[in-house]
Amino acid sequence: MNTRRLESAIVTGFTIIVALIWVFPLYWALVTSLRSENRVVSRPGLLPDEFNIGNYADALFNTQLLTWYVNSVGTAVIVTVVVILISMMCAYALSQINFPGRRLLYLVVLASFMIPSQALVVTQFILMDQFRLINTWGGIILPQLIVPVTIIVYKQFFDSVPREMREAAVLDGGGDYAILFKLFLPLNWGITTALAIVTFIGVWNAFFWPFLVITSEDMMTIPVGITQVNDAFGLAYARLMSVALLAALPVVLAYLIFQRRVTEAVMISSGVKG
Amino acid sequence: MKLFNSILSASALAMFAAPAFAQQEVIWWDFLSGGDGVRMQKLIDGFNSEHPDIQITGTTLEWGVPFYTKARTSAAVGEGPDVMTYHLSRAPLGIEEGVLSPITDEDLANAGLSTSDFFPAAIDAATSDGTLYAVPFDIHALVLYYNKSMLEGTPYLDADGNLTGIESLDEMNTALQTLKDNGVQTPVTYQTGGDGGLWRVFYTLLSQQGGEFIVGGEVLPGDNADKAATAIATMKDWQERGFTPEQAEYEASVALFSSGESAFQLNGVWEVPTFTDAAANGTLGFDWGAVEIPPLMGQEATWADSHAFAIPNEGDDTISGEKRAAVMTVIGWMEKNAIGWADAGHIPAYLPVAESDEYKAMEPNATYASLANNAAFDPQSTLTGVASPTYDAALNIIGPAVHGYFEPEEAVQQIKDDLTAAMQ
Amino acid sequence: MAMIENRRKRNLTAMTLVAPFVIVFAVFFFYPTIRMVQLSFTNAPLIGAGEWVGLDNYIRLASDRLFKTSVWNNAYFILLTVAPTTMIALAIALMINRLKGGMQAFVMVLFFLPYVLPVSVVTQIWAWMLDFQYGVLQPVLAALTGKPVAVFKDPDWVMPVIAAITIWWTTGFNVLLFIAGLRNVPAELYEASALDGASQFQQFTRVTWPLIWPVTALVLTLQLILQLKIFDQIYLLSGGGPFNSSYVLLMQVYREAFQLNHGGYSSAIATVLFVLIAVVSVLQFQLLRIGRSRQ
Repeated sequence: MNTRRLESAIVTGFTIIVALIWVFPLYWALVTSLRSENRVVSRPGLLPDEFNIGNYADALFNTQLLTWYVNSVGTAVIVTVVVILISMMCAYALSQINFPGRRLLYLVVLASFMIPSQALVVTQFILMDQFRLINTWGGIILPQLIVPVTIIVYKQFFDSVPREMREAAVLDGGGDYAILFKLFLPLNWGITTALAIVTFIGVWNAFFWPFLVITSEDMMTIPVGITQVNDAFGLAYARLMSVALLAALPVVLAYLIFQRRVTEAVMISSGVKG
Repeated sequence: MKLFNSILSASALAMFAAPAFAQQEVIWWDFLSGGDGVRMQKLIDGFNSEHPDIQITGTTLEWGVPFYTKARTSAAVGEGPDVMTYHLSRAPLGIEEGVLSPITDEDLANAGLSTSDFFPAAIDAATSDGTLYAVPFDIHALVLYYNKSMLEGTPYLDADGNLTGIESLDEMNTALQTLKDNGVQTPVTYQTGGDGGLWRVFYTLLSQQGGEFIVGGEVLPGDNADKAATAIATMKDWQERGFTPEQAEYEASVALFSSGESAFQLNGVWEVPTFTDAAANGTLGFDWGAVEIPPLMGQEATWADSHAFAIPNEGDDTISGEKRAAVMTVIGWMEKNAIGWADAGHIPAYLPVAESDEYKAMEPNATYASLANNAAFDPQSTLTGVASPTYDAALNIIGPAVHGYFEPEEAVQQIKDDLTAAMQ
Repeated sequence: MAMIENRRKRNLTAMTLVAPFVIVFAVFFFYPTIRMVQLSFTNAPLIGAGEWVGLDNYIRLASDRLFKTSVWNNAYFILLTVAPTTMIALAIALMINRLKGGMQAFVMVLFFLPYVLPVSVVTQIWAWMLDFQYGVLQPVLAALTGKPVAVFKDPDWVMPVIAAITIWWTTGFNVLLFIAGLRNVPAELYEASALDGASQFQQFTRVTWPLIWPVTALVLTLQLILQLKIFDQIYLLSGGGPFNSSYVLLMQVYREAFQLNHGGYSSAIATVLFVLIAVVSVLQFQLLRIGRSRQ
């Protein structure tokens, strides 16, 4: 019993040490951001030794960080809501209605899951130019609406809804839309929030497409803004780290608050946990 | 499909499109940050407060390739700015790409300017086939920064604390070796890990031998190749002897000087405000100076370029009429107030300011003002200039050669091959 | 009659249900795909029309050194990330799985945290940590290799380091999948094998591994699809350098289209990438299916 306890203590200790090393980059970014620029390049030690929030004030007031938050949150929320809605509708039809072209459509969905749309950026960009949507939210949002994996996951969940429940609803005279939103959606609320969380994180972090389609500073999203608009000249390590941490802060906070929910979401949406 | 496209775009526009801008808002793009950025912001604020009818909205994008990629792409889709800063070294490439809208005599008149107000070399660099494509704003060059406090007690400071006794490569190397022997880790710093820094130092050393990079459409013909190899070999020698920092990114290269680890720095005049400001705040911790690059390779010459203002050519969307007049008002005002820009270390391209008593009294600008006569601009070619194939070559060929991945002769051959291929 | 009427009505409903997705898909995926293939046979600039040049772009690809480097680097990056991140995630999951309650949740948060960071925050932090002159990790590298290493300027280091950063960024997601998988393994199975006198290692190979194979296959598939489209980290950390040694296909697509204004040529590269991804995905799908049926 004693050796077992010792062994478990060792494993616990080792795991915690690895985990702490894992988050060291974030710790170091924080320590750097709180130092003055001169201190940063004077080869200081690993422990925090200055508490200089001037860099953060500078980052907040001398960049368009707040505008980028709005663009990021706005586009990510719209993409998430629209993706969830159209995926749910499509998956419901694929799962519950035997319409012509159903198999073909499902094959297309499966195939497009395998092929990332990144290969299409050039022609998507040309298309956005034709629509005059360069530098708009619409330009950021539209090509990101194709997330076939949400359809696949939804379909699996809808497939497992007991047949009797649906038949009962049909007998009650409900149409398909009513069945979807009044029966299937409440039944699958868990997977819906899970898919929404995972989609949101994905869109929030998207870099390549927004980077291409946005050129004006006030339309940029967070991941793009902090790389395009920076201080190429002079000393700016501490400032760079403050901007980076502020950029990450909202979603990190949201994650820390809802971490149980997010963990669940990742597990459920991948289908590993039912 | 057409109908379908337009229906979709119409509804998408209705949902998401950005609101229209006020008529006299001038959208301005630059790549100026750090001390440059602060001074430009001051100028913009000054303009805005004097002109209630015209308001500049500025955006600063990342210098170099990112800026010019965005500028070109945005202009192509009609989403470009109304006015942007542009390097004259890149003007030939910009003209070939069709990115620059010609500046007419009427435009200049609207700005209250004329071509004779500027250094002729700068106007030449902005002109192609008799058409002006940009309005020069400054001339900026590579200079030698030095840390007076570190050089104290060496023979390299005269009684007034000014740099002395470095007039050749041998003397430079002796000075660097002395510093190295005294425990200075990195006696001279420059951006050894980036296109700009590598190109500026290389081009200075090439020009100081009387070498030319492109002659009659040929890259490094004749003995210019040997001179280029000598320039690279010199940089490589500095690297091998531990005089210069290894693979320094731009910021690190500046930090090495500002933190007192390097006695010398080879960098553009634009860092002058960084040190002026730090000294004023009392955070620098040493005295410093800046001089024209000594004639290390024999002749006096130093890499130089110009910032200019340009109007993007956006086809049917190119600005015209009142908007264009407003932009020219902005440009004219900036030129006449360029003293605020000289504060950032640059030499104004606009002669009335460059020849003013106020400018002549500025330090350290006055010390290196002589370099205007020895300025070596990039050759007028679509291959050279910021974010050009030549800058790629500086990063991908000269950099590795300096760090020992290729021999200088091999590097020169590869530059010739790559750029000759890019010409086609 | 009523049945047919009903059926027609339901088909109509189905059409309205799938229409939003189908329209978005047709306009932003299918149409661009067709256009991409069309463009790849022209010399069009990014914006504007070009002339038909037949197979010229593809012929040019065959002798394009940068294209070869890019294809190789895409493969190399997969090699450096897909299997390693899967193994590392599994190892971390096994460690976490032995922790209890609050401690388990806490450690899980630490490992997952990087995943919620935007990619540019990740790259800026790591670029700073690995800065040649001031990076906090340079003393570590110096201790390991004898001297500091400018990792993003060294052709041997650049891809492995970017792969390592990518693993740091994304492993948390995979850890969660493995933990979910491990939780599905019934405790009785372990007890039974313990009674049989199986060692811990035997327990892992006999009980754990077969039961989490489906999760492993899932992680491998997701990673493969994800890592084939590598662009962000390379663009932000090395820009494809030094001397183009870290170029990948998507970087080249970007460079040709947006930096050099070669819409046609860039579409040819994109078409190759598109086909490549399709082939690799199908192959992997089949391989994993065989692997699964053997279990």
